[in-house]
Parts: sequence; C-alpha cells; structure tokens
Amino acid sequence: MIEQNRFWRIVVYGSLLIAAVYYLLPLYVMFTTSLKGMEEIRNGNLLSLPLDISLAAWQKAWSSACTGVDCSGLQPYFWNSVLMVVPAVAISTALGAINGYVLSKWQFRGSEIVFGMILFGVFIPFQVLLLPMAQTLGLFGMASSIPGLVFVHVVCGLASTTLFFRNYYVGIPDELIKAARLDGAGFWRIFLRIILPMSTPILTVTVIWQFTQIWNDFLFGVVFSGLDSRPITVGLNNLANTTTSVKEYNVDMAAALIAALPTIIVYVLAGKYFVRGLTAGAVKG
Amino acid sequence: MGALSIRNITKTFGETQILKGINIDIDAGQFLILVGPSGCGKSTLMNIIAGLEGPSSGEVHIGDRLVNHVAPKDRDIAMVFQSYALYPTMNVRQNIAFGLETRKVPKAEQDETIARVAKMLQIDHLLKRKPGELSGGQRQRVAMGRALARNPKLFLFDEPLSNLDAKLRVEMRAEIKQLHQRLKTTVVYVTHDQIEAMTLGDRIAVMKDGVIQQFGSPQEIYDSPANQFVAGFIGSPSMNFIPVHVAEREGEIGVVLQGDGDARFWPLPDKLQLRERLGQALTLGLRPEQFDLVSAADGLSCKVCITEPTGPDTMLFSQINGKDIIARVHPRHAPQAGESCHLQPDLRKAVLFDPATEARVA
Amino acid sequence: MSHTTQSAHYGFAERWLPRLVLAPSFLLSLVFIYGFIAWNGYLSFTRSRILPNYESAGLSQYEALFASERWWTAVQNLGIFGVLFIGGAMAVGIFLAVMLDQKIRAEGVLRTIYLYPLALSFIVTGTAWKWMLNPGLGLEKLLHDWGFASFTFDWLVNPDYSIYTVVIAAMWQSSGFVMALFLAGLRGIDDSIIKAAQIDGASLPRIYWRIVLPALRPVFFSTLMILAHIAIKSFDLVMALTGGGPGFSSDLPATFMYQMAFTRGQMGLGAASAMMMLATVAALVVPYLYSELRSKRRD
Repeated sequence: MIEQNRFWRIVVYGSLLIAAVYYLLPLYVMFTTSLKGMEEIRNGNLLSLPLDISLAAWQKAWSSACTGVDCSGLQPYFWNSVLMVVPAVAISTALGAINGYVLSKWQFRGSEIVFGMILFGVFIPFQVLLLPMAQTLGLFGMASSIPGLVFVHVVCGLASTTLFFRNYYVGIPDELIKAARLDGAGFWRIFLRIILPMSTPILTVTVIWQFTQIWNDFLFGVVFSGLDSRPITVGLNNLANTTTSVKEYNVDMAAALIAALPTIIVYVLAGKYFVRGLTAGAVKG
Repeated sequence: MGALSIRNITKTFGETQILKGINIDIDAGQFLILVGPSGCGKSTLMNIIAGLEGPSSGEVHIGDRLVNHVAPKDRDIAMVFQSYALYPTMNVRQNIAFGLETRKVPKAEQDETIARVAKMLQIDHLLKRKPGELSGGQRQRVAMGRALARNPKLFLFDEPLSNLDAKLRVEMRAEIKQLHQRLKTTVVYVTHDQIEAMTLGDRIAVMKDGVIQQFGSPQEIYDSPANQFVAGFIGSPSMNFIPVHVAEREGEIGVVLQGDGDARFWPLPDKLQLRERLGQALTLGLRPEQFDLVSAADGLSCKVCITEPTGPDTMLFSQINGKDIIARVHPRHAPQAGESCHLQPDLRKAVLFDPATEARVA
Repeated sequence: MSHTTQSAHYGFAERWLPRLVLAPSFLLSLVFIYGFIAWNGYLSFTRSRILPNYESAGLSQYEALFASERWWTAVQNLGIFGVLFIGGAMAVGIFLAVMLDQKIRAEGVLRTIYLYPLALSFIVTGTAWKWMLNPGLGLEKLLHDWGFASFTFDWLVNPDYSIYTVVIAAMWQSSGFVMALFLAGLRGIDDSIIKAAQIDGASLPRIYWRIVLPALRPVFFSTLMILAHIAIKSFDLVMALTGGGPGFSSDLPATFMYQMAFTRGQMGLGAASAMMMLATVAALVVPYLYSELRSKRRD
C-alpha cells in the first residue's frame, strides 16, 4: 500500500516469518512425535526429527489405546462423532436456511423479536442449559445417546445458522421476490427455485462452520454422552488423561492428529469459506 | 369503465402517511406515468397496483374487476423492475419460462411464447446465457421479455431505465414507446425523470408527498401547470420563478421587471382577473424558451453572467428582479458572458403563483 | 422503500406460512434456551444435589458459592486468564494484521498458517501443548539440550502458574482470529484516506496509529466482545491441558460448574455458578447488542 524502505520490508517479513514458525511449531511437534517410538522421545527433544519412522503410535491410537477402562483406541469415538455430526449439521443448516429466509424476506409483525431472541442465543454460555437439558434428555429417553447429542447441537446451533442465512439473504434484492410472486410463485417455490440456488456460498460457509463447531465440541460431548455414544473429543481427552504407568506421548499426538484431521482437511480444502464463517459470526446483527 | 381505476387509495406506514388519497382513471391502451421526486409515494402506489403491498384504504380496479383481494399473480399484470430482478441462477430462457411454468402453460406453448418474445426483443442469441453474462441493456431487454411473455392486461414499469447509461436510456425509451404502440397494452410507468415522463406518457400523474399534484396529458402539464411544484419539476432547464408585484399602467394589468438597467412595465395579456390582486406580490413563471433576444428598444436590459452553449441552443444565465434566471436563445445571436443583452419576455404563456401557497393564481 | 412487508398483500397461505415455518425454531429456542435458563435459575434456589430436589433453599447456594475458596480461585483465574488472553491475542492479532496489510507476497499462505489453529478442537490444542509444556521431556528438555542447563519450566504442574499455560495455548489458538477480523477491517478502509495522510507527510507508523486503527474502533469492540465471550466459556482447553489442576489451581468458572454439577453431586451449586456466568455474559453483551442495534437503526 505504501512505499517503504528496505529495512522496514525486512522487519515486516521477519516478523511474519517468526509468527508463521510459532503457529506451525506445535503441528510439527505433534506430527514428528507421533512418528517416533517412546525410546526416541526420551532420548531426543521436541524438535528432533524422527530417526526411525514408525506408524505404530497411529495404529495404537486408532485401534488399541486405552481410554479409561476400555482399550479399543479412538476408532469407536471417531464413528460416533461422524454419526453425530452428519445429522446435526444437516438439520441445523436446513432450519437456519428456512429461518433466515423468513426473517429476511417474509417479515411479519413480531418477526424482529423472534430474530432478537435467536440472536441472543449466540451469546449464551451453554453451562446454563446443561442441567435442565440433562434432565429433559433423560425424561425423553435420549440421555447418553447420539440422537440426544444431535438434538442438543441442533438447538444450540440454530442461532448461528439462522444468523448466517438471515444476513446473507438480506443482501438479496427484494425485487427478486416481488418478480417471482408476480410470476405466480409462492413461499416454497420461491425458496426452492430462486433463493436456494443462490445460496451455495452461504451453505458452504454454514456447513463448514457447523461441522467444525460440532466435531470440535467437548462440553456437550462430555456431559450428555454415554459409554457407547462418546464423540472423538471426549475419546481423545480420556486417552490423553488416562493415567497409565508410562505416558505414551507418541500415541497422544497421533490421537490428537486423528481427532484434528477432519477439520484440518476441511480447512485446507475450503479455508476461504471457513474464514468467512468466522468473520460473519463476528459481525453479528 | 377504464383499464385501471384507482380510488381514494391511502397508505400508512406506522406514523407516516405515504399516500393521501390517490385517484387515477385511465383507459385501455393508455400509457400512464407516475412521476415525482424520490419519497413521493410513486413506488408504493405501483406496489399497490401490483398487489405486492395492500392499501390502507381505497380500491384498485383492473379492467372491471376490483382486485384489492386478488393475489399479484392473478391480477393479469406483468412488471419490469428497476434492478431487472432477473433470477441470477437461471439462464435467459429459464427466466422467461419460470412464470409460464408456474402457471402450468403446456411446454409447446411455452416454447412458442419464448420464441415470439425473444424475436420481438432481439434476444434470441442470448437465451442460453445467465443474467450475469449480459450487459445492462441486454438485461433490460430480458426483463421486458419476461413481462411480455405473460401477455398481460396491464404492464407495470418501475423506473426501468434508471440503471442504464444516458445513451442506452434514450434508445430503450424509444423502444418502449414503439413496443407500446405495437402492442397497445395499458402501461403504468414509474419514473423520477421528467424527460421520460414527457416523452413516453399519454397521461402523467405528477406526485409529491403522497398527493397527486396534477394529472393530465404531457402538454397540459407543461403549458398549464397546476402549481409551482409541477411547473418547476417538469421541463429542463426548470421554469424561471421571478418575484413580481401586480401593477396597472394605462388600464393594462402587468408586472414590472428589471434587469441591469431601467425597470420596465410589461402587460400581462388575458390576465384581467389579476386586477383584484393589484399591488400584491406574486411569483411569475416563465420558461427559458419564453425569452427572445431583441434590439434595445423592445427588450429588458440584462447582464449575462454565464453562457452555456448546448449546441442547438445557448443558455444565458442572468438576473431579473434580483433572481437568477435562464434564457434559451439561438446560438447565432448569443452574447458573451459579461455583456449586456436585451431580452423580451413572452408573457402570453406566463403563469403566476401565490408565493406563500405556491398555488397557481393565473 | 423498506422491505417491511408487514401490511403486504399476501394470500391466506402466504400470510401464515412464514409464521408456521418459523414456529419450530421459535419454540425450540423459547423452551430449550429461555425456558432452560429459567429452570436452571430455579434449580439454583433449591437444595438439589445429585438429583434435582425442588425444595427451596433460598439464597443458600449462592451463599455457599461465595463462601467457596474454589469458586474464588476460578473467578480470579478468569480475571488473569481474561486479561492476558484478550490483551495478548489482541496485540498479536492486530500486529499480524497490520504486517499482512503491507502488500506481502504469499499473503494467502501466511494467512492460512495463522488461522489453522482455529479449525482445531481445544482438546487437540490442549493435548498438544500439554506435551510440549510437560516438565520432563518437553520445552524444558529442549532448552537443556540447547545448553541452558539450569532452565526449568514447570508451570503445568506448579499451582501458582498453571493458569498461565492455559493463556499460552489459548493465545496460540485464537490470535489468528483477531488477525482475520482486523485484516478484513483494514481492507475495508478507503485507500484514499491513507493517500491523503501520506501527502500530508505523515509517517507510516503514525498513519496507522492516528488514522487507520482509530477507524477500526467498531472492529476492536466486536473482537473484544468475542474474545471475552470465549474466555468466559473456556472449558475444553482447561480440561485437556490441566484438568483444572494441580488441585483446583487452574479452575475457571466453566470447569467449576461442570465439576459441581456433574462429578461432585452439587447440582444447586453448579446451577448457581452457571447463573453467575450468564450474568457476566449478559452484562457484557446486552449493552453491546443494544448499541449495535441502535446504530443500525440510525442508518
């Protein structure tokens, strides 16, 4: 933007590079550690490269590491997370899209109040919902089950998804809706034929956002899941905090990477949309 | 009964009354212009005619049918929007077909209609393109094509040309006029551009503050404006408004005008009713073309501040009775800025307004 | 005209469909958010322990809460964590945003690097930093290998310092977020303002300090809100990194609430602490939302 002398350029690039190293270092450490044996970890240090590359830690983390009493690795937790994430993302996104459509294009008396109510939900510390939710899920036989977790994630994700879609749809000219109404299209036809086909960017943003949020969630996972419905974050935490005689850091790191992999892949493939979700979530209202 | 009849329409949003009792009647095939500055309520009125908004009170008749409670799609109307409102994810053909599909028009008939409309508007070669790949003028055509495909009883245009550049706007204006002459469909056309109003309309409704200031043919409105607002709004450059006092000399009623020289009395022909306002202050309305350059003896000496040659005419900026005025003169005789010249006002078509109420008094 | 379609002319179905469609979400949030807040509030005035017990206990749960040393440790930790985390993430994030705004080659790559931690779960971050900061084989050993034999780094297991490890990890995870928000803000500033300042002879740091950053005040406030919000809700990171320990030295209100409500059978106390968290968030958010909505209405 501005002409600068050489000295400043060096300072700028230098700081950016140092920052890059700072952000990448933990990933590097995780990755190299996961490829080492425990012997090597004890003899080397954080930054030393693995001499004897081995996937044993990954194997163990996936299928045989102990997470408390039970020793079948992260595998079952991973699939629990998948089973939880897919319906939760789909339902919360679909509801968010329809809500956003109504709140931006079919406002009625009181719809702004509904919007305000939903908007405030973005900020609520979920701790305040935990106890009643646990009671209620128990009442409906959904305690400690994947459907229960899906339900909680849908309820608590509605605020963000509605906000995303509402803010996006506000930018679509109202004349388009008028034109479609004159063309004889009604509420659903306008949504399905006109609005939805225009929603690819915001759909991507929302799906990625919700996927990351729900996959990474720990609070609901630890409170509302049972033995056979625990999500991956709970599995990882149990694995890393299981007090066995020897701490196997290589297995911990492999497990952490397994838990991180899906969101990292999404981030690498669609980083642009991920960042848009972040900033869209920030500029609320 | 006419093609469109609007009776006592009012519209209130919360505290503000946007339309304050609108009455309009037009015959089939007429081209009605709703013109006025932004915020005058013309777009709201248009939406009410379309059925996109409901009136607070009053009636809308299309043909001989009361349509207050008829859904927009069943009013037998089509609309062209300012932003064109083309569906961005559909190509041109799908855009035109959407309304037909919704109405369950048989496929063969759809194809026939699309072909007819595309040919009429010369957009055949664009049918497979998306709106994003079209120029402004092409989008405008497609938007019109979508409306034409419906073959409606009433066409609504909501400032359709305001997003186009000046040259294209003139071209499209002519095309819309041609189209109307060919199809003879009734049209309601909203604009804030008085030139569009004058060139296109059969009937013009000049609106301000939710009230129709005047309703009539373009020439009526131009020659005989109902009040100072209409007089100033229609015509470019605007009508000159000169403060005057009603005077009498040798039995004739007239006004005293002064440029940079001596004041001079000018009789007002056919304005005998002003006798009762003798001595009162009024506003004299004179259009720029109602001045002629004449020799010293016949004219009012005026000092020219600026000249603006437009090609066919030259605009002279000067002052009369201390008020800035513009005179439109032939370029051949135009004086230079700083010079004095002699202007003869043609007071046969002069109009006079009450300075307080801005109502026309003569 | 505004798109207020309140009195718009709809058919019967079109007038009721939008309300019908919005109803499920409205009910969900009414019952499961607002209803539950009330329910939780009610619980906080009862004697509930392991199971809910709706006998009124008056304010005794709150009295117990305010008398609890562990709660005050959590509150104090939140203060330390909040100030350092927000301040640190802001400073790093704004600095990086300004640096990235200098027409940098490979900006896209750098941005990707700064932001990837945000895609990670706090549990992953916690696990990774727990390994790096562990006193035996982590950072301490690295520095020993580098020749700093006397270097000790035992914050993770030192009750006086354990909360600072949470700050370090949280900053690492979230400073990229601040960068993204400020970079977006910087990109939104009219270039001609900066050009005008340059013609006036202002130096680059001065332009940023006096013109650019003040123009980003709204971004600053919304970022502040979001970070404060993250801080108050912080739970996962502590659980993964320190588990609240050693002892309860790195507890935060969120972990306190979880421990009381779900592992120690002190439901009423947990509910009371959750209400305190809600009150804190509301004290921050309500004025913010109010001013946001007001300024929006003025447009």
